Amino acid sequence: MGLTRILTLAGFAATLLAGTAYAEPVNLTLWHMEQPPHRVQRMKELLDEFNAAHPDIQVKQEPQSWGEIYAKAPAAFAAGNGPDLLFTIPDFTTVLKGIDAVVPVDDLVKDLDAKHGFVKATLAPYQYDDHVWAVPAYNMAISLWYRNSVLKAAGVEVPKTWSQWQAAAEKLSTDGKSGIGLPANKQLYTDQTVYSFMVNSGAADIYNADGSIAFDKPETVKAYDFYSKLAKLSPADNGTWTWGEAEACFANSTCGMILQFGVINTYDTQAEGDAADLGVAPVPHADDQSESATISYSNAIMLTTKDEAKQKAAKVFLTWLLEPANYGRFLTMEPGLFLPVTDDGAKADSFWNDKTVTKYKSQVETMIANSHTGKLFGFTTGKVFPSIGAISAQNVIAETLQHIVVDGQSAGDAVKAGQGRMSEVAKK
Amino acid sequence: MRRTLGQSLSLYGGLLLIALVIGLPFWWVLTGSIKLPKEIIQRVPTMVPQSFTLQHFEKLLQASDFPVYLLNSMVVALFSTAFTVLLALPAAYAFFRMEFPGRNALYKTILLAYAFPGVVVLIPLYGLFAKVGLIDSPVALVIVNVAFALPFSIWMMRSFLSSVPREIEEAAVVDGAPTLTILVRILMPLIAPGIASVAIFAFISSWTEYLFASVLIVSDARRTIPVGFAGIIGQYQIDWGLLLAGATAAIIPVVILFALVGRWFVSGLTDGAVK
Amino acid sequence: MKNTTLAIAFVSPALIFLLAVLGWPLVQAAILSFQDVGVIGSEGHFIGLGNYATILGGAGFWQALGRSIVWVLSNAVVQTILALATALVLNQKFPGVRIARTWIILTWIVPTVVVVIIWRWLLSSSGGIINPLLIQAGAIDRPVGFFATRESAMATLIMINSWRWFPFTTLMMLAGLTRIPGDLYEAARVDGAGTFQRFKRITWPLLQPTLMVLGVVGTLLSFNVFDVIWLLTAGGPAGATQTLPVLIYETAFKGYRLSQAATISVLTTILLMGFAFFATRAMAAAEADR
Repeated sequence: MGLTRILTLAGFAATLLAGTAYAEPVNLTLWHMEQPPHRVQRMKELLDEFNAAHPDIQVKQEPQSWGEIYAKAPAAFAAGNGPDLLFTIPDFTTVLKGIDAVVPVDDLVKDLDAKHGFVKATLAPYQYDDHVWAVPAYNMAISLWYRNSVLKAAGVEVPKTWSQWQAAAEKLSTDGKSGIGLPANKQLYTDQTVYSFMVNSGAADIYNADGSIAFDKPETVKAYDFYSKLAKLSPADNGTWTWGEAEACFANSTCGMILQFGVINTYDTQAEGDAADLGVAPVPHADDQSESATISYSNAIMLTTKDEAKQKAAKVFLTWLLEPANYGRFLTMEPGLFLPVTDDGAKADSFWNDKTVTKYKSQVETMIANSHTGKLFGFTTGKVFPSIGAISAQNVIAETLQHIVVDGQSAGDAVKAGQGRMSEVAKK
Repeated sequence: MRRTLGQSLSLYGGLLLIALVIGLPFWWVLTGSIKLPKEIIQRVPTMVPQSFTLQHFEKLLQASDFPVYLLNSMVVALFSTAFTVLLALPAAYAFFRMEFPGRNALYKTILLAYAFPGVVVLIPLYGLFAKVGLIDSPVALVIVNVAFALPFSIWMMRSFLSSVPREIEEAAVVDGAPTLTILVRILMPLIAPGIASVAIFAFISSWTEYLFASVLIVSDARRTIPVGFAGIIGQYQIDWGLLLAGATAAIIPVVILFALVGRWFVSGLTDGAVK
Repeated sequence: MKNTTLAIAFVSPALIFLLAVLGWPLVQAAILSFQDVGVIGSEGHFIGLGNYATILGGAGFWQALGRSIVWVLSNAVVQTILALATALVLNQKFPGVRIARTWIILTWIVPTVVVVIIWRWLLSSSGGIINPLLIQAGAIDRPVGFFATRESAMATLIMINSWRWFPFTTLMMLAGLTRIPGDLYEAARVDGAGTFQRFKRITWPLLQPTLMVLGVVGTLLSFNVFDVIWLLTAGGPAGATQTLPVLIYETAFKGYRLSQAATISVLTTILLMGFAFFATRAMAAAEADR
């Protein structure tokens, strides 16, 4: 019997003992940022079910918003009233890890990985400094969305390379319509779309191995240059776009193509809803690259309590959540947007039986395939530097783009300035 | 007095322009909230709805706690209003009807409160409230709202207080009435419109406050309308129909309230001080 | 009336309350500004005036200050013109004047977050009405991006903020206007003064005290406007609308440099206090002149 085995058993015994010693249930507070009403509703259903099945644990949710959580969570932990479980994206974890609010979940992830098989790309951004800092929960990856009928009418093939893409976008730009809709807002969405260009021109790494910034290089300049060319074909108000505006632009057929995590829900409820006509493909790659890649956001759940009884209870909850029978219903709180992070989750009936997922099965399959090629800026080299939190939160990637499309700088100058800005943010 | 044609034209033209500038955005929001999703994001927007649906409101009520947010906002705003008036009235009386050393300097100091950006106060206040256990409590919001409404409220009382003839108080003093009695019995009725204006000002300030409510309140059940509304915006997706329904739902209660008491605010400001 | 004890008893609750809720946090911010705290909740060390040297020596603070000044002045000009014009219209007698005076305030009673969403939607090119309207009116021939250039982003934000605030200013001015005795106008009319002359000789000078206070308080209030800017542009494009409050928020919560944010806060507060001090002195002097 290995040492871990013994420890696990001992832990198990301790849990039993603790369970008998305290009749009071362990109360867990879960903060997540899935605030739209229907997601909260689905979460409530799952929690009710879990709480009913586990009388000794009571999990309650408190939905927060991404807009304020960066200010609110550190303040809450500093004041001693933070949550026990907290949803996260990779850069947010680095911030909270910096104030010692996050507890590593190495063993739990190891167990869950053995059981369900995590998709490597979803685990990587949380694996650094000798530990795993969060349990992956769902994945999101950017794909290229279009309508088959529109492409066909214009005589355009689904673009695979940048030159094909540009030709397609130009051809689709006619009488008040935009061939492609790309954001130029100082906002996370723009960070994401720009980076999905960068990974496709070989500029995925923004750090060197020693933690210095590796942003300013010809591949990056190339990506920005091409992005700003396509952005010219986008609607004029793209300077205020977030995800929703891009979706609306696609749904009402103003935009021929967009880069987006998912449009299925909007397309289904606010546009034609014709599953056969909705096209999705990998983000095209630069002509000198051979394969497409994309940006993916592995959303995860952090353990943020120092109380051992609570930690144990939280692990029970997370284990329950990732069980295929429950996990699919968790993912389909936003069907056609949240993608599985485990191998058996990707096969789970509870996922594929969802009405929307069934209707758009082929699109969801493509999305899942794309998500396996996902990378995230600052989390590509296996080493993570704390400054990525600030680079990400201040949207330096998007701001660099604004210097090109708003101030008319050349891509080379803007990227150089971006490198300076990142280095400035990175130094203490 | 009769207006010339030109004067009438400029008057009614001006009125129409004002009505359009203020009213049209609301018209689009209200009508947008009952359009079908497809019509909302249509490329050529419609002035008059071509479709009708209550689905956005159903969704709003079904899936979010809007009635709860509404109640929370009401409670916070009412308490903020009460405390603002309670603090502002005596202070204003002292500033504008009494004499004491340092009066002018103190009065200015109070107006200086607006020199503090709310953003600056946010973090230290969070720490303070956490220490005394007021995070996630409506009390914290009331405290903040009163602090930000108070200085201007005191200033608003000025004109009302100065419009009351001194003789009234002097007569009362001769009669031997204590100052508190003067304030409550004699002055209060005279400056009632002013108090109404201050109350409404404090109420609206609290009703619209977002920054502090978003950070100081943690649980869904204690959110106010602005924060609850911001919550349905959502990351990654925007449901414009739901948002417009939410906007409408956030506007209507305060519009109803204003229909009931609004004239007090305006007449309090404009008529009360003429004499 | 003289009764110092009572006066102090009347004033002190308000004063103590303000000191505790606003003054105390400012002291905290001042302490923070001499340390090197990064993320909220992390430990810091005393570093003296280091932050002040960094902030005053860098370009960011001065640029934001410049934008803040542009923001405040433009808001003041736009709002004063709109509010004065509106107040003059509403100061006349016409059927429904009460209703008009009451409902003018509509934009101000709506939460800022809602205002932001309303305008984001109106200005958007997918379903927004402003672009099609302008095209129909022949002002533009294709949809424009209101936040696409530095200048237009700032101008659009100023218009939206003014849209929200000018009705409130209107009412304050209306209050000032109604306090001008009607017989002054009658006398001027008898003297043969025209509309413009009456405005110049009576309305404008007698409105001065109201305008002064509105000017001071309005400046401070609009200087501190944060949510509208943050929620619409987050200080973009390319920093064009990053005013001082936005810079403070961004430095603290996005750049994780709490102490530097506190430093900017302290500097900002000193600036605003200086402004308020001199403005109120000028106000007092102007009143003494009359």
